Amino acid sequence: MLDSDVQIALFAAFGGIAVIAALAAVLTRYLLRSIVAFGAFLTAIAGQFYILAADFVALIQIFVYVGGVVVLILFALMLSAVGQKHPLAVSEHRGLGAVVAYAVGGWLVWAAFGQDLPKAGQVPGETVAFLGRAFLDQQLVAFEVIGIILLAAVVAALVIVRGERL
Amino acid sequence: MTLVLVFSGLLFAIGTYGVLTRRNAITLLISVEILMNAANLNFVAFSRLWEPELMTGQVFALVGISIAACEAAVGLALILAIFRRFGTTDVGRIDFLRG
Amino acid sequence: MEVNWPDWLNFDWLDLGWLELPWVDTNWFHDNWYGLLLLGFFWGVVVFTMVGALTAVYVYVERKVSARIQGRLGPMETGPHGLLQTLVDVVKLAVKEDVRPAAADALAFRLAPLLVVVPAVMAFVVVPFGVPMVIRDLNVGILYFLAVPSVTGVGLLLAGWASYDNYSFLGGLRASAQFISYEIPRTLAVVTVVMLSGSLSSAGLIGAQADTTWFVLLLPLSFVIYAVTTLAEVNRVPFDIPEAESELVAGFHTEYSGFRWSLFFLGEYASLTTASAFAVALFFGGGLGPVLPPVVWFVLKTAVIVFFAVVLRFTLPRFRQDQLMALAWKYFLPLSLVNLLLAGLVMKAVF
Repeated sequence: MLDSDVQIALFAAFGGIAVIAALAAVLTRYLLRSIVAFGAFLTAIAGQFYILAADFVALIQIFVYVGGVVVLILFALMLSAVGQKHPLAVSEHRGLGAVVAYAVGGWLVWAAFGQDLPKAGQVPGETVAFLGRAFLDQQLVAFEVIGIILLAAVVAALVIVRGERL
Repeated sequence: MTLVLVFSGLLFAIGTYGVLTRRNAITLLISVEILMNAANLNFVAFSRLWEPELMTGQVFALVGISIAACEAAVGLALILAIFRRFGTTDVGRIDFLRG
Repeated sequence: MEVNWPDWLNFDWLDLGWLELPWVDTNWFHDNWYGLLLLGFFWGVVVFTMVGALTAVYVYVERKVSARIQGRLGPMETGPHGLLQTLVDVVKLAVKEDVRPAAADALAFRLAPLLVVVPAVMAFVVVPFGVPMVIRDLNVGILYFLAVPSVTGVGLLLAGWASYDNYSFLGGLRASAQFISYEIPRTLAVVTVVMLSGSLSSAGLIGAQADTTWFVLLLPLSFVIYAVTTLAEVNRVPFDIPEAESELVAGFHTEYSGFRWSLFFLGEYASLTTASAFAVALFFGGGLGPVLPPVVWFVLKTAVIVFFAVVLRFTLPRFRQDQLMALAWKYFLPLSLVNLLLAGLVMKAVF
């Protein structure tokens, strides 16, 4: 039986990967590398979810994000930038952006240290059963609304891509 | 727990920087997704902290993931439509409203 | 961060304690982080070797069966009945020159084969070989089996894009479009099985079938959908349009050679092997069967499924790209939804 130090170390390692990958995704001037880094970022976040005892959410993250959203983004890249190899233009507002991001990040990290948080409770071993109960009991409205939103989004995406004449 | 909050704060800051400075629509979308992931991380962590058996935070994270997928689908459809009309995905150069 | 971790987040299963080997001191592994790392590495090597060996067997069987169908002998020279041919081929591929096109994006070009192979091998972790025997019995095992290989789609697309070549590009687009289209009906087919077994873990799946019967008898339509969509996902004939030699040279791996090419090859066969093995677990009761030990039953059933896949490859013609996409969206998606609804109604009525 491990003490939780190892899991904290693993969490920090995934966090480090996530931060580096997110930085790479935001800073690189090559679109393809940005997307690859984004994929790495999502996988690292999935690892963090797993260590936070959310195994179902972690796998859904991989399924929907890495297997779905990243592929979609790659498709959009390929359909909109065929043959593009030169680096992207960067904005002239980088200094301002850095200041704002620094302020936001600093404030959030400061807030993180300021809190007096309770100790975590015991996690149920079988997360899926509890999740299912939560979804179809207390959070039923959220579940239904999600269904409607997904349908609307799919129809909207189709309409937009098909153009004005249907 | 503080560790989780620190990480999600850092990721949120990175996402903010991306949203503010990038000009390409696809990179903007990626930055927004980074923001959403930072928020999801917090949801899951707090679900772990308070009443883990209610799973409210995890439900929220799952809802967030679904919304992000919708957003990506619609966003990318828009990007394709914009690319067809303007020949670019640089949001700074999409500057006329007439169709 | 003071927390109580649930059982499945511990790493006890890694230490082979469940094998009860007398000469292994399991405590040592848990006292040191490098012991744990060593164990993880050990299991990685074990799984990779298993998949590699299975792939070699698979390739040999496919060559022999295809030869028999076409009235040939197949490999005969290396070893008795050409048994060592695959091994020799592996050595040949490993020492071949690795060519990278000058215009290719180096990072993506190198990453793509790994993204195809690693998920396929990782999925092997949750395949239940025996009645209790799984390398790792996750309590979301079935979801893991669906989620992890979905990363392959990214690899296919990256390979096509990174090669900087029109044929590769088209092949990558086709492969990826096909992959994500067929993923939806496939997932919905598996969902019916999950509904019936009431568990997402692969051991629970076998347990549920031990209590009732093989799920293929209860959910024949789900099995048909799963089988066809799996063939489409791993780009097998009759759905191998991404690799159609006659129109696309070789599809997304046109520009690859040597070891990187063989990684794609390994990935394709590994995902087909894993998918066949998991089909046995999902629909044919896994290792359940009389007299023989479970592992033997499991291997036999998997062999039958694999044999059918090989026979299909050499007896059916290829689809056209638009027919393929129409098949996924116009027929299989509604069919799998109806199947899901029917399964739910019947279960509600019976139980």
